Amino acid sequence: MDLDEALTDLVACNGDRLLRVGFPLTHDRAAAQDLVQGALLRVYLTVRRGGREPQDWYAYLRRAVINEYLRTGRLLSGTEVVTDRVPEAPPAESADGQVDDRAEVWAALGTLSARQRAVLVLRYYEGLPDGEIAALLGCREASVRSLASRGLAAMRRLAVPAGVAEEDAI
Amino acid sequence: MSDIEELVGQVMAEHDDEAPRAGDLLHALAGAGAPAETWSWRRRRGGLAARGRAARASRAGWLLPAAAGIAVGAVMIGSAWAGGLFGGRHATRTAIGQTTRLAELSCPARYRGAAPWVPARPVGVGGRSRLAPLRTPASAVVCGYVPDLRYKDLAGHLVGRVLTRQRQLTGGLAALAGDLAWLPRLLPGQQIACLLVLGPQSNYLIGLAYRGGGRIWVSTTADASGCVLTSNGDFTTFSNASAQAAKAARTGRWPEPPRSVSCGSGGRLGQETAMVPAGSTSLTICAGRTVRTLTSGYQDLVAALNALPARTSTRECSSKPPFHGQNYQLEFAYPQGPAVQVRVSAYCYPAIDNLSLQAYSAKAILPIIKRLLRAS
Repeated sequence: MDLDEALTDLVACNGDRLLRVGFPLTHDRAAAQDLVQGALLRVYLTVRRGGREPQDWYAYLRRAVINEYLRTGRLLSGTEVVTDRVPEAPPAESADGQVDDRAEVWAALGTLSARQRAVLVLRYYEGLPDGEIAALLGCREASVRSLASRGLAAMRRLAVPAGVAEEDAI
Repeated sequence: MSDIEELVGQVMAEHDDEAPRAGDLLHALAGAGAPAETWSWRRRRGGLAARGRAARASRAGWLLPAAAGIAVGAVMIGSAWAGGLFGGRHATRTAIGQTTRLAELSCPARYRGAAPWVPARPVGVGGRSRLAPLRTPASAVVCGYVPDLRYKDLAGHLVGRVLTRQRQLTGGLAALAGDLAWLPRLLPGQQIACLLVLGPQSNYLIGLAYRGGGRIWVSTTADASGCVLTSNGDFTTFSNASAQAAKAARTGRWPEPPRSVSCGSGGRLGQETAMVPAGSTSLTICAGRTVRTLTSGYQDLVAALNALPARTSTRECSSKPPFHGQNYQLEFAYPQGPAVQVRVSAYCYPAIDNLSLQAYSAKAILPIIKRLLRAS
Protein backbone atom coordinates (compact mmCIF):
# COMPACT_ATOMS: atom_id res chain seq x y z
CA MET A 1 0.00 0.00 0.00
CA ASP A 2 1.10 3.47 -0.74
CA LEU A 3 1.93 5.94 1.96
CA ASP A 4 -0.33 8.79 1.09
CA GLU A 5 1.19 12.19 0.52
CA ALA A 6 -1.31 13.87 2.81
CA LEU A 7 -0.52 11.52 5.66
CA THR A 8 3.17 12.13 5.09
CA ASP A 9 2.65 15.87 5.25
CA LEU A 10 0.55 15.48 8.35
CA VAL A 11 3.25 13.55 10.13
CA ALA A 12 5.94 15.89 8.93
CA CYS A 13 4.12 18.99 10.17
CA ASN A 14 2.85 17.66 13.50
CA GLY A 15 4.72 14.47 14.24
CA ASP A 16 7.51 15.86 16.39
CA ARG A 17 5.17 17.84 18.64
CA LEU A 18 2.73 14.98 19.02
CA LEU A 19 5.50 12.55 19.86
CA ARG A 20 6.79 14.92 22.53
CA VAL A 21 3.34 14.91 24.07
CA GLY A 22 3.11 11.14 23.76
CA PHE A 23 6.41 10.49 25.48
CA PRO A 24 5.55 11.80 28.98
CA LEU A 25 2.23 10.00 28.71
CA THR A 26 3.79 6.63 27.95
CA HIS A 27 7.34 6.99 29.32
CA ASP A 28 8.44 4.78 26.46
CA ARG A 29 9.69 5.65 22.97
CA ALA A 30 8.10 2.73 21.20
CA ALA A 31 4.82 3.17 23.05
CA ALA A 32 4.78 6.90 22.25
CA GLN A 33 5.34 6.14 18.60
CA ASP A 34 2.59 3.50 18.58
CA LEU A 35 0.26 5.90 20.32
CA VAL A 36 0.77 8.75 17.84
CA GLN A 37 0.75 6.38 14.90
CA GLY A 38 -2.56 4.88 15.99
CA ALA A 39 -4.11 8.31 16.49
CA LEU A 40 -2.90 9.56 13.13
CA LEU A 41 -4.31 6.59 11.30
CA ARG A 42 -7.66 6.97 13.04
CA VAL A 43 -7.85 10.62 12.04
CA TYR A 44 -6.70 9.84 8.54
CA LEU A 45 -9.39 7.23 8.07
CA THR A 46 -12.06 9.48 9.57
CA VAL A 47 -11.27 12.36 7.25
CA ARG A 48 -10.92 10.05 4.30
CA ARG A 49 -14.41 8.76 4.94
CA GLY A 50 -15.69 12.30 4.62
CA GLY A 51 -15.21 13.67 8.09
CA ARG A 52 -14.99 17.38 8.68
CA GLU A 53 -11.58 19.00 8.35
CA PRO A 54 -10.64 20.87 11.51
CA GLN A 55 -9.47 24.46 11.73
CA ASP A 56 -6.52 23.61 13.94
CA TRP A 57 -4.96 20.38 12.88
CA TYR A 58 -2.49 20.14 15.70
CA ALA A 59 -5.20 20.56 18.34
CA TYR A 60 -7.33 18.00 16.54
CA LEU A 61 -4.51 15.48 16.39
CA ARG A 62 -3.54 16.11 19.99
CA ARG A 63 -7.10 15.32 21.01
CA ALA A 64 -6.86 12.12 18.97
CA VAL A 65 -3.61 11.20 20.72
CA ILE A 66 -5.12 11.77 24.15
CA ASN A 67 -8.25 9.80 23.24
CA GLU A 68 -6.12 6.98 21.88
CA TYR A 69 -4.05 7.05 25.05
CA LEU A 70 -7.11 6.88 27.32
CA ARG A 71 -8.77 4.26 25.09
CA THR A 72 -5.75 1.96 25.11
CA GLY A 73 -5.32 2.68 28.83
CA ARG A 74 -8.87 1.41 29.43
CA LEU A 75 -8.22 -1.67 27.32
CA LEU A 76 -5.18 -2.43 29.42
CA SER A 77 -6.76 -1.48 32.73
CA GLY A 78 -7.93 -5.04 33.37
CA THR A 79 -4.41 -6.31 33.16
CA GLU A 80 -2.54 -6.36 36.40
CA VAL A 81 0.99 -5.17 36.00
CA VAL A 82 3.44 -6.83 38.32
CA THR A 83 6.32 -4.61 39.26
CA ASP A 84 9.15 -4.74 41.75
CA ARG A 85 8.92 -0.98 42.33
CA VAL A 86 7.46 0.14 45.62
CA PRO A 87 5.53 3.33 44.89
CA GLU A 88 6.16 4.83 48.29
CA ALA A 89 9.89 4.19 48.24
CA PRO A 90 11.89 7.28 49.16
CA PRO A 91 14.30 8.67 46.58
CA ALA A 92 17.84 7.37 46.60
CA GLU A 93 20.48 9.32 48.44
CA SER A 94 22.70 11.24 46.09
CA ALA A 95 25.28 13.97 46.21
CA ASP A 96 23.36 15.67 43.44
CA GLY A 97 19.96 15.93 44.97
CA GLN A 98 18.58 18.15 42.24
CA VAL A 99 19.05 15.51 39.57
CA ASP A 100 17.53 12.84 41.76
CA ASP A 101 14.51 15.03 42.50
CA ARG A 102 13.87 15.46 38.83
CA ALA A 103 14.32 11.78 38.14
CA GLU A 104 11.87 11.03 40.93
CA VAL A 105 9.33 13.47 39.53
CA TRP A 106 9.59 11.81 36.13
CA ALA A 107 9.26 8.38 37.66
CA ALA A 108 6.34 9.51 39.80
CA LEU A 109 4.53 10.81 36.74
CA GLY A 110 4.68 7.33 35.31
CA THR A 111 2.85 5.87 38.29
CA LEU A 112 -0.25 8.07 37.98
CA SER A 113 -3.50 6.95 36.46
CA ALA A 114 -3.94 7.56 32.74
CA ARG A 115 -6.41 10.42 33.25
CA GLN A 116 -4.28 12.10 35.90
CA ARG A 117 -1.25 11.85 33.67
CA ALA A 118 -3.17 13.23 30.69
CA VAL A 119 -4.36 16.19 32.74
CA LEU A 120 -0.86 16.98 34.00
CA VAL A 121 0.67 16.72 30.53
CA LEU A 122 -1.99 18.95 29.01
CA ARG A 123 -1.83 21.45 31.85
CA TYR A 124 1.90 21.68 32.55
CA TYR A 125 3.48 20.62 29.27
CA GLU A 126 0.98 21.89 26.73
CA GLY A 127 -0.03 24.80 28.94
CA LEU A 128 -3.77 24.39 28.30
CA PRO A 129 -6.35 26.03 30.59
CA ASP A 130 -8.58 23.72 32.58
CA GLY A 131 -11.59 24.60 30.42
CA GLU A 132 -9.88 23.33 27.27
CA ILE A 133 -8.64 20.23 29.03
CA ALA A 134 -12.18 19.53 30.23
CA ALA A 135 -13.53 19.90 26.70
CA LEU A 136 -10.77 17.68 25.38
CA LEU A 137 -11.37 14.95 27.94
CA GLY A 138 -15.13 15.30 27.84
CA CYS A 139 -15.53 16.05 31.51
CA ARG A 140 -16.31 18.99 33.78
CA GLU A 141 -13.72 21.60 34.68
CA ALA A 142 -14.06 20.64 38.33
CA SER A 143 -13.07 17.09 37.40
CA VAL A 144 -9.94 18.40 35.74
CA ARG A 145 -9.00 20.36 38.85
CA SER A 146 -9.64 17.30 40.97
CA LEU A 147 -7.55 15.02 38.74
CA ALA A 148 -4.72 17.54 38.72
CA SER A 149 -4.85 18.02 42.46
CA ARG A 150 -4.82 14.32 43.20
CA GLY A 151 -2.08 13.72 40.63
CA LEU A 152 0.12 16.41 42.11
CA ALA A 153 -0.49 15.15 45.61
CA ALA A 154 0.55 11.66 44.57
CA MET A 155 3.66 13.05 42.93
CA ARG A 156 4.55 15.01 46.04
CA ARG A 157 4.31 11.83 48.07
CA LEU A 158 6.42 9.85 45.63
CA ALA A 159 8.97 12.45 44.62
CA VAL A 160 9.61 14.31 47.87
CA PRO A 161 11.20 12.38 50.72
CA ALA A 162 9.11 11.99 53.82
CA GLY A 163 9.96 14.59 56.40
CA VAL A 164 11.50 16.98 53.90
CA ALA A 165 9.68 20.17 53.12
CA GLU A 166 8.77 20.55 49.46
CA GLU A 167 10.71 23.78 49.05
CA ASP A 168 13.78 22.14 50.56
CA ALA A 169 13.59 19.23 48.19
CA ILE A 170 13.23 21.25 44.99
CA MET B 1 1.87 28.04 40.94
CA SER B 2 3.66 25.81 43.43
CA ASP B 3 7.18 24.53 42.98
CA ILE B 4 6.01 21.00 42.30
CA GLU B 5 3.75 22.25 39.51
CA GLU B 6 6.62 24.13 37.92
CA LEU B 7 8.94 21.20 38.34
CA VAL B 8 6.49 18.84 36.63
CA GLY B 9 6.45 20.97 33.49
CA GLN B 10 10.21 21.39 33.48
CA VAL B 11 10.85 17.70 33.94
CA MET B 12 8.53 16.85 31.05
CA ALA B 13 10.34 19.35 28.83
CA GLU B 14 13.70 17.94 29.84
CA HIS B 15 12.69 14.61 28.31
CA ASP B 16 11.87 16.12 24.92
CA ASP B 17 15.03 14.81 23.37
CA GLU B 18 14.17 11.26 24.34
CA ALA B 19 10.93 11.29 22.40
CA PRO B 20 10.94 9.68 18.96
CA ARG B 21 10.93 11.94 15.93
CA ALA B 22 8.57 12.37 13.01
CA GLY B 23 11.12 10.65 10.79
CA ASP B 24 10.86 7.52 12.92
CA LEU B 25 7.11 7.65 12.60
CA LEU B 26 7.21 8.09 8.84
CA HIS B 27 9.56 5.21 8.52
CA ALA B 28 7.30 3.02 10.63
CA LEU B 29 4.23 4.06 8.66
CA ALA B 30 5.99 3.40 5.38
CA GLY B 31 7.04 -0.01 6.61
CA ALA B 32 3.61 -0.88 7.92
CA GLY B 33 1.77 0.39 4.85
CA ALA B 34 -0.74 3.16 5.25
CA PRO B 35 -4.31 2.93 4.07
CA ALA B 36 -4.56 3.32 0.34
CA GLU B 37 -5.84 6.58 -1.00
CA THR B 38 -9.29 6.42 -2.46
CA TRP B 39 -10.77 8.24 -5.38
CA SER B 40 -12.98 10.35 -3.15
CA TRP B 41 -9.99 11.36 -1.08
CA ARG B 42 -8.12 12.44 -4.20
CA ARG B 43 -11.15 14.38 -5.35
CA ARG B 44 -11.39 16.19 -2.02
CA ARG B 45 -7.74 17.12 -2.22
CA GLY B 46 -8.14 18.33 -5.78
CA GLY B 47 -11.19 20.33 -4.90
CA LEU B 48 -9.41 22.05 -2.09
CA ALA B 49 -6.42 22.79 -4.24
CA ALA B 50 -8.71 24.55 -6.70
CA ARG B 51 -10.02 26.94 -4.07
CA GLY B 52 -8.74 30.45 -3.80
CA ARG B 53 -5.92 31.60 -1.62
CA ALA B 54 -8.23 33.33 0.82
CA ALA B 55 -10.21 30.20 1.34
CA ARG B 56 -7.05 28.17 1.83
CA ALA B 57 -5.62 30.64 4.27
CA SER B 58 -8.53 30.11 6.60
CA ARG B 59 -7.96 26.41 6.79
CA ALA B 60 -5.04 24.72 8.33
CA GLY B 61 -2.91 21.85 7.32
CA TRP B 62 -4.42 18.60 6.18
CA LEU B 63 -4.68 19.31 2.54
CA LEU B 64 -2.49 22.34 2.35
CA PRO B 65 0.98 21.81 1.04
CA ALA B 66 3.17 21.37 4.03
CA ALA B 67 5.47 24.07 2.75
CA ALA B 68 2.80 26.66 3.34
CA GLY B 69 2.59 25.78 7.01
CA ILE B 70 6.30 25.80 7.36
CA ALA B 71 6.47 29.17 5.62
CA VAL B 72 4.04 30.64 8.13
CA GLY B 73 6.26 29.39 10.91
CA ALA B 74 9.27 30.79 9.17
CA VAL B 75 7.72 34.25 9.00
CA MET B 76 6.89 34.04 12.68
CA ILE B 77 10.47 33.46 13.59
CA GLY B 78 11.71 36.15 11.27
CA SER B 79 13.25 33.89 8.73
CA ALA B 80 12.69 33.19 5.09
CA TRP B 81 13.57 29.54 5.37
CA ALA B 82 11.25 28.14 2.77
CA GLY B 83 12.82 24.86 2.02
CA GLY B 84 11.99 22.91 5.11
CA LEU B 85 9.05 21.07 3.69
CA PHE B 86 9.54 18.64 6.45
CA GLY B 87 12.66 20.10 7.93
CA GLY B 88 11.16 22.59 10.33
CA ARG B 89 12.53 23.80 13.61
CA HIS B 90 11.60 22.18 16.83
CA ALA B 91 9.84 24.11 19.51
CA THR B 92 11.04 22.93 22.87
CA ARG B 93 9.40 23.83 26.12
CA THR B 94 11.72 25.01 28.81
CA ALA B 95 9.14 25.79 31.42
CA ILE B 96 5.43 25.89 31.77
CA GLY B 97 3.87 28.11 29.18
CA GLN B 98 7.19 29.10 27.72
CA THR B 99 8.30 27.91 24.33
CA THR B 100 11.76 28.57 23.05
CA ARG B 101 12.77 28.09 19.45
CA LEU B 102 15.98 26.15 19.36
CA ALA B 103 18.43 26.31 16.51
CA GLU B 104 17.79 22.69 15.67
CA LEU B 105 16.78 21.19 12.36
CA SER B 106 14.86 18.02 11.69
CA CYS B 107 15.26 15.81 8.67
CA PRO B 108 13.05 16.04 5.61
CA ALA B 109 11.00 12.88 5.32
CA ARG B 110 12.15 12.33 1.77
CA TYR B 111 15.16 13.08 -0.32
CA ARG B 112 13.22 14.59 -3.15
CA GLY B 113 15.58 15.10 -6.04
CA ALA B 114 18.61 13.85 -7.85
CA ALA B 115 21.74 14.05 -5.73
CA PRO B 116 23.10 16.41 -4.66
CA TRP B 117 19.72 17.69 -3.51
CA VAL B 118 19.15 19.93 -0.51
CA PRO B 119 15.79 20.94 0.96
CA ALA B 120 16.79 24.61 0.95
CA ARG B 121 19.66 26.87 0.08
CA PRO B 122 21.71 28.43 2.88
CA VAL B 123 19.84 30.99 4.94
CA GLY B 124 21.44 33.52 7.27
CA VAL B 125 24.96 32.26 6.62
CA GLY B 126 27.21 32.55 3.61
CA GLY B 127 26.98 29.47 1.47
CA ARG B 128 28.70 30.65 -1.67
CA SER B 129 32.30 30.92 -0.52
CA ARG B 130 32.39 27.67 1.45
CA LEU B 131 30.35 24.50 1.73
CA ALA B 132 29.70 25.47 5.36
CA PRO B 133 30.96 28.28 7.59
CA LEU B 134 34.16 27.80 9.56
CA ARG B 135 32.39 28.59 12.82
CA THR B 136 30.98 25.79 14.91
CA PRO B 137 27.24 25.29 14.49
CA ALA B 138 24.93 25.40 17.50
CA SER B 139 23.45 22.08 16.46
CA ALA B 140 23.60 19.62 13.62
CA VAL B 141 21.52 16.74 12.40
CA VAL B 142 22.53 13.92 10.06
CA CYS B 143 19.83 12.34 7.94
CA GLY B 144 20.28 9.07 6.05
CA TYR B 145 18.19 8.06 3.03
CA VAL B 146 17.88 4.93 0.95
CA PRO B 147 15.99 4.38 -2.32
CA ASP B 148 12.27 3.96 -1.99
CA LEU B 149 11.09 1.37 -4.47
CA ARG B 150 7.69 3.02 -4.75
CA TYR B 151 8.89 6.17 -6.47
CA LYS B 152 9.97 5.87 -10.09
CA ASP B 153 10.03 8.30 -12.98
CA LEU B 154 8.48 7.57 -16.37
CA ALA B 155 11.60 5.71 -17.43
CA GLY B 156 11.37 3.48 -14.39
CA HIS B 157 14.34 4.98 -12.56
CA LEU B 158 14.13 5.20 -8.82
CA VAL B 159 13.68 8.84 -7.90
CA GLY B 160 12.42 8.81 -4.34
CA ARG B 161 14.48 8.24 -1.25
CA VAL B 162 13.07 7.75 2.17
CA LEU B 163 14.46 8.77 5.53
CA THR B 164 15.85 5.82 7.43
CA ARG B 165 18.07 7.47 9.99
CA GLN B 166 18.01 10.77 11.82
CA ARG B 167 20.56 11.71 14.43
CA GLN B 168 21.04 14.96 16.29
CA LEU B 169 24.77 15.23 16.85
CA THR B 170 25.90 15.53 20.43
CA GLY B 171 29.59 15.98 19.73
CA GLY B 172 32.23 16.72 17.15
CA LEU B 173 30.51 19.87 15.89
CA ALA B 174 33.80 21.74 15.54
CA ALA B 175 35.26 18.84 13.56
CA LEU B 176 32.16 18.87 11.37
CA ALA B 177 32.63 22.57 10.63
CA GLY B 178 36.32 22.03 9.92
CA ASP B 179 35.67 19.11 7.59
CA LEU B 180 33.03 20.85 5.52
CA ALA B 181 34.43 24.38 5.47
CA TRP B 182 37.66 23.45 3.75
CA LEU B 183 36.36 21.23 0.97
CA PRO B 184 37.50 22.51 -2.43
CA ARG B 185 35.09 24.12 -4.84
CA LEU B 186 34.02 22.48 -8.08
CA LEU B 187 35.10 24.88 -10.79
CA PRO B 188 32.52 26.11 -13.30
CA GLY B 189 32.27 23.62 -16.14
CA GLN B 190 34.59 21.17 -14.41
CA GLN B 191 33.89 17.66 -15.60
CA ILE B 192 34.92 14.99 -13.15
CA ALA B 193 36.02 11.75 -14.69
CA CYS B 194 34.75 8.86 -12.67
CA LEU B 195 34.01 5.25 -13.35
CA LEU B 196 30.31 4.54 -13.25
CA VAL B 197 29.88 1.53 -10.99
CA LEU B 198 26.45 0.15 -10.34
CA GLY B 199 25.84 -0.34 -6.69
CA PRO B 200 23.87 0.84 -3.72
CA GLN B 201 23.72 4.56 -3.08
CA SER B 202 23.11 6.12 0.31
CA ASN B 203 22.29 9.79 0.51
CA TYR B 204 22.95 11.94 3.52
CA LEU B 205 21.76 15.38 4.42
CA ILE B 206 23.67 17.28 7.07
CA GLY B 207 21.70 20.12 8.57
CA LEU B 208 23.67 22.76 10.46
CA ALA B 209 21.99 25.46 12.52
CA TYR B 210 23.77 28.49 13.93
CA ARG B 211 23.11 30.91 16.73
CA GLY B 212 21.31 33.85 15.26
CA GLY B 213 19.16 31.70 13.01
CA GLY B 214 21.47 30.74 10.16
CA ARG B 215 20.89 27.35 8.59
CA ILE B 216 22.58 25.32 5.93
CA TRP B 217 21.96 21.87 4.48
CA VAL B 218 24.69 19.82 2.87
CA SER B 219 24.04 16.82 0.67
CA THR B 220 26.68 14.14 0.37
CA THR B 221 26.39 10.67 -1.09
CA ALA B 222 28.03 7.32 -0.60
CA ASP B 223 28.13 5.53 -3.93
CA ALA B 224 30.39 2.94 -5.42
CA SER B 225 31.58 5.14 -8.25
CA GLY B 226 32.28 8.32 -6.32
CA CYS B 227 30.63 10.24 -9.12
CA VAL B 228 28.05 12.06 -7.01
CA LEU B 229 28.92 15.57 -5.95
CA THR B 230 28.50 17.19 -2.55
CA SER B 231 26.66 20.51 -2.33
CA ASN B 232 24.83 23.00 -0.15
CA GLY B 233 22.82 24.32 -3.09
CA ASP B 234 25.17 27.25 -3.69
CA PHE B 235 28.59 25.68 -3.32
CA THR B 236 29.47 22.33 -4.85
CA THR B 237 32.50 20.16 -4.33
CA PHE B 238 33.70 16.91 -5.79
CA SER B 239 34.92 15.90 -2.33
CA ASN B 240 32.79 13.69 -0.19
CA ALA B 241 31.83 13.57 3.47
CA SER B 242 29.60 10.51 3.37
CA ALA B 243 31.95 8.28 5.36
CA GLN B 244 31.96 10.75 8.24
CA ALA B 245 28.20 11.28 7.89
CA ALA B 246 27.56 7.54 8.06
CA LYS B 247 29.66 7.25 11.20
CA ALA B 248 28.01 10.29 12.76
CA ALA B 249 24.57 8.85 12.02
CA ARG B 250 25.56 5.71 13.93
CA THR B 251 27.34 7.31 16.86
CA GLY B 252 25.80 10.77 17.22
CA ARG B 253 29.24 12.37 17.00
CA TRP B 254 31.02 13.76 13.97
CA PRO B 255 34.34 11.90 13.86
CA GLU B 256 37.54 13.76 14.51
CA PRO B 257 39.76 14.01 11.42
CA PRO B 258 42.74 11.67 11.38
CA ARG B 259 45.87 13.24 12.83
CA SER B 260 47.84 12.32 9.74
CA VAL B 261 46.49 11.70 6.28
CA SER B 262 49.82 11.44 4.57
CA CYS B 263 49.42 11.04 0.88
CA GLY B 264 45.77 10.21 0.99
CA SER B 265 43.03 11.72 -1.06
CA GLY B 266 41.24 14.92 -0.23
CA GLY B 267 41.56 18.54 -1.02
CA ARG B 268 41.45 22.02 0.37
CA LEU B 269 39.54 25.14 -0.45
CA GLY B 270 41.78 27.48 -2.45
CA GLN B 271 43.42 24.80 -4.55
CA GLU B 272 41.16 25.79 -7.41
CA THR B 273 42.99 29.12 -7.72
CA ALA B 274 46.56 28.05 -6.91
CA MET B 275 48.14 24.62 -7.24
CA VAL B 276 49.46 25.08 -3.69
CA PRO B 277 47.56 27.74 -1.73
CA ALA B 278 49.69 30.01 0.46
CA GLY B 279 50.29 29.23 4.09
CA SER B 280 51.43 25.62 4.08
CA THR B 281 53.61 24.63 7.02
CA SER B 282 54.97 21.27 5.90
CA LEU B 283 55.44 19.09 2.87
CA THR B 284 55.27 15.32 2.80
CA ILE B 285 56.60 13.57 -0.27
CA CYS B 286 55.40 10.05 -0.93
CA ALA B 287 57.35 8.12 -3.50
CA GLY B 288 56.27 4.52 -3.33
CA ARG B 289 57.28 3.31 0.10
CA THR B 290 59.50 6.32 0.69
CA VAL B 291 57.88 9.04 2.75
CA ARG B 292 59.69 12.27 3.69
CA THR B 293 58.31 15.21 5.60
CA LEU B 294 59.86 18.66 5.40
CA THR B 295 58.95 21.68 7.44
CA SER B 296 61.21 24.09 5.59
CA GLY B 297 63.25 24.46 2.43
CA TYR B 298 60.48 23.49 0.04
CA GLN B 299 59.17 26.92 -0.89
CA ASP B 300 60.91 26.82 -4.26
CA LEU B 301 58.81 23.75 -5.05
CA VAL B 302 55.65 25.67 -4.11
CA ALA B 303 56.74 28.58 -6.31
CA ALA B 304 57.51 26.28 -9.22
CA LEU B 305 54.18 24.48 -8.97
CA ASN B 306 52.25 27.74 -8.79
CA ALA B 307 54.15 29.13 -11.79
CA LEU B 308 53.01 26.34 -14.09
CA PRO B 309 50.30 27.09 -16.62
CA ALA B 310 47.29 25.29 -15.25
CA ARG B 311 43.81 24.35 -16.40
CA THR B 312 40.74 22.94 -14.75
CA SER B 313 41.32 19.36 -13.67
CA THR B 314 39.46 16.41 -15.11
CA ARG B 315 41.23 14.07 -12.65
CA GLU B 316 42.43 12.03 -15.63
CA CYS B 317 45.79 11.49 -17.23
CA SER B 318 47.03 9.46 -20.18
CA SER B 319 50.17 7.36 -20.16
CA LYS B 320 52.81 8.24 -22.71
CA PRO B 321 56.16 6.72 -23.57
CA PRO B 322 58.25 5.50 -21.90
CA PHE B 323 55.24 4.31 -19.86
CA HIS B 324 57.25 4.02 -16.70
CA GLY B 325 58.74 6.37 -14.18
CA GLN B 326 58.29 7.66 -10.71
CA ASN B 327 54.97 8.89 -9.35
CA TYR B 328 55.01 11.30 -6.45
CA GLN B 329 52.26 12.35 -4.16
CA LEU B 330 52.90 15.69 -2.49
CA GLU B 331 50.97 16.65 0.60
CA PHE B 332 51.08 20.28 1.70
CA ALA B 333 49.77 20.63 5.25
CA TYR B 334 48.32 23.73 6.92
CA PRO B 335 47.83 24.79 10.52
CA GLN B 336 44.08 24.52 10.07
CA GLY B 337 42.01 22.44 7.70
CA PRO B 338 42.97 19.65 5.35
CA ALA B 339 46.11 19.29 3.28
CA VAL B 340 46.47 19.88 -0.42
CA GLN B 341 47.39 16.77 -2.37
CA VAL B 342 49.32 17.15 -5.61
CA ARG B 343 50.04 14.21 -7.86
CA VAL B 344 53.21 14.48 -9.89
CA SER B 345 53.78 11.83 -12.54
CA ALA B 346 56.77 11.22 -14.74
CA TYR B 347 54.84 9.47 -17.50
CA CYS B 348 51.13 10.31 -17.25
CA TYR B 349 49.88 13.55 -18.75
CA PRO B 350 48.72 16.03 -17.57
CA ALA B 351 51.54 15.23 -15.19
CA ILE B 352 50.49 17.39 -12.25
CA ASP B 353 47.06 17.40 -10.67
CA ASN B 354 45.64 18.63 -7.38
CA LEU B 355 42.10 17.52 -8.35
CA SER B 356 41.08 21.10 -9.08
CA LEU B 357 43.91 22.20 -11.37
CA GLN B 358 46.13 20.31 -13.76
CA ALA B 359 49.45 21.24 -15.36
CA TYR B 360 50.71 19.35 -18.36
CA SER B 361 54.44 18.95 -17.75
CA ALA B 362 56.44 18.00 -14.67
CA LYS B 363 59.74 18.69 -16.37
CA ALA B 364 60.57 21.63 -14.11
CA ILE B 365 59.20 19.98 -10.99
CA LEU B 366 60.77 16.52 -10.93
CA PRO B 367 64.36 17.77 -10.37
CA ILE B 368 63.24 19.82 -7.38
CA ILE B 369 61.46 16.85 -5.81
CA LYS B 370 64.48 14.61 -6.29
CA ARG B 371 66.72 17.23 -4.74
CA LEU B 372 64.46 17.56 -1.72
CA LEU B 373 64.38 13.78 -1.27
CA ARG B 374 68.16 13.59 -1.42
CA ALA B 375 68.59 16.42 1.07
CA SER B 376 66.13 15.08 3.63
